[in-house]
Amino acid sequence: MGFNRVTWTPGHERKPIGASNFRQLARLRRQREVRAREAAAARALKGSLMSLAALLGSEVKDPDGHSVGRLSDVVVHWTTRGAYPAVRAIIVKTGKLEVVIGARWLEVGSPSAVRLRSDRAYASTAERHRDDVLLARDVLDRQVVDAGGVQIVRPADLYLAAVGDRIELVAIEVGIGALARRLGPKRLRSRVRLGRAIDWGSVSAFAPPRAKEDMHHGRRSEIAGEAGTGLELDREAAEVKRLRPSEIQAALEDAKAKRIGELP
Amino acid sequence: MSAVDGAGGRVRRRRAKLPRWLAPVLAFLAILGPGLISANAGNDAGGIITYASAGAQFGYRMLFLMVLITVALVVVQEMCARLGAYTGEGLGALIREQFPLRSGAAAMLLLFIANAGLTVSEFAGIGASMEIFGVSRYIAVPVALAGIWAVTVLGNYSQAERVFVVMGLVFLTYPIAAFLGHPGAGAVVSNLLWPHFLHSKAFLLLAVALIGTTITPYMQFYLTSAVVDKGVTPKTYKGERIDTINGAILSDVVSIFIIIATAAAIGGTGPLSNIGQAAAALRPVAGQAASQLFAIGLLGAALLAATVVPLSTAYAIAETAGVERSLSRKLREAPVFYGIYTVQLVVGAAVALLPGNAVNLVINAQVLNGFITPVLLTYILILANRRSVLGNAANGPIFRAVATLCVIVVGLLSAVVLVQTVAGWL
Repeated sequence: MGFNRVTWTPGHERKPIGASNFRQLARLRRQREVRAREAAAARALKGSLMSLAALLGSEVKDPDGHSVGRLSDVVVHWTTRGAYPAVRAIIVKTGKLEVVIGARWLEVGSPSAVRLRSDRAYASTAERHRDDVLLARDVLDRQVVDAGGVQIVRPADLYLAAVGDRIELVAIEVGIGALARRLGPKRLRSRVRLGRAIDWGSVSAFAPPRAKEDMHHGRRSEIAGEAGTGLELDREAAEVKRLRPSEIQAALEDAKAKRIGELP
Repeated sequence: MSAVDGAGGRVRRRRAKLPRWLAPVLAFLAILGPGLISANAGNDAGGIITYASAGAQFGYRMLFLMVLITVALVVVQEMCARLGAYTGEGLGALIREQFPLRSGAAAMLLLFIANAGLTVSEFAGIGASMEIFGVSRYIAVPVALAGIWAVTVLGNYSQAERVFVVMGLVFLTYPIAAFLGHPGAGAVVSNLLWPHFLHSKAFLLLAVALIGTTITPYMQFYLTSAVVDKGVTPKTYKGERIDTINGAILSDVVSIFIIIATAAAIGGTGPLSNIGQAAAALRPVAGQAASQLFAIGLLGAALLAATVVPLSTAYAIAETAGVERSLSRKLREAPVFYGIYTVQLVVGAAVALLPGNAVNLVINAQVLNGFITPVLLTYILILANRRSVLGNAANGPIFRAVATLCVIVVGLLSAVVLVQTVAGWL
């Protein structure tokens, strides 16, 4: 029938392709390239981003595959050095006891399971150090406020990633998708899909509960975990932008490069 | 946060928002206790119809139950005020932080359902009171819906609120009506001090409705946010505590007078068949104008609660999500807050327009609240027991025992009625 023959119908003149059309085409092509790049970055990140919500409650196993207990929290060390704090230890619930296992006994591997490196890991009873932040207790589901005190949202998930031999806290997830993931069946929980992630680097301090607003300033890790304590960002809500997969990837590469540079 | 006048501060907000000309009239009432005005507005359309129905159907027999409910209400409200003062957070936020996400979501869903039921009964109250004036509810309810939405979202809510509160003051005539109606003093006292319960399904159902309408989940969420919005801290909590307890007791005193006045006028004549019948209780005060007076009061109480209940739902859910929640924000700045508010208003008005007996609809909505109340009370109890939340202000052993007993009794009663109702369907 000649579907690819140029046909002419009265009243439908074909305009010559003008400069504006070229610009439009170029913009579309750029958008497609960005999308493709983000999709590739998201695929690449899939194996390396770990969801805290998926990890919590999962079994911690020793090298022989025996269960040690269940993961109840992850401790990071949050100091001023570096944007991404490193995981210092995990808290494992064994029966009624809660024990702390240092990060150096952990195997960095599959994003949905925790495995110990040795069956004789050093464990201690839970004790809080200065600058320690317990991610499930102090950060997950806490109110996030911007620099002006506007309440933005409560994070439904936190993303951890392996940087070299360490595991670092990278971003907080505030998308509705992460909330749905947590409400849904447990086995689907480890399928991380980046929604609206905020760089952890923009989190500046713990915000005291409103009943104690006259507290002194600083990072205030000592008030973390108290009822009503939130997280404060270092910028206004309008400036908070959603992290793209490629940006996370670039940040991770950056952190890795720095780590290698630090080595003697 | 202070901007949530509408949603956050209901329980105490009524006394501050009176027009100037009324101040001298009410000055002497204020001496009686600051909770009195708040008590009046605490009795919403659903409450008034339920109390009137209790008086009409069972005379004074429900009075002892009301005394028990008052004890439970004081215990529950005190816990909520304490949670607000010591944590600086509303119940929605505390539930999100302190419970697993799924339990938190379940609590919010239940709150939404309970408040949707309440909103339905408020719109039913609006329809019924306008019918006393000869306006069809098919006109009155949509107009009220549009008006409430426009006033809260586009207009000045606090001014409209004053009008509603003043209209609702009509119900302060109930105590006078109760005395003028010559109730049998002996019967009243004996029913207040000693149970005269009936073992019948209707009695149990109404008992749950009374619990549901007196210990309404929305009041607890509201009170906690109100305490936070007022900026009450652990240091200033003592005064707040007295205020809360006074408010709870006075609110129930008015409720008890509604039951007595209605029982004295039409007690024992069986369940109310229409809302206008309840006006008979005001006849000793208003004579021929009783119906009109009752309708004005009911309209004011219903309009007030039809605004506040959906606002408080939207506030609690937005608080759980952690997003902005305030009437001072623009529609686009707080989409979750306004979205939930609008949905609840529209659903409430739509269900209230379904054909059927308005009294039954209202009572059923309160029974629904009665089923949900013990579940949400359990959350509050767990929060107030936790030392990790309240520190040294957590419930002590005696308070904990009393509060647990209250929750268990309310829960058992609801469970019995729920089983009976479900068995009735089978």
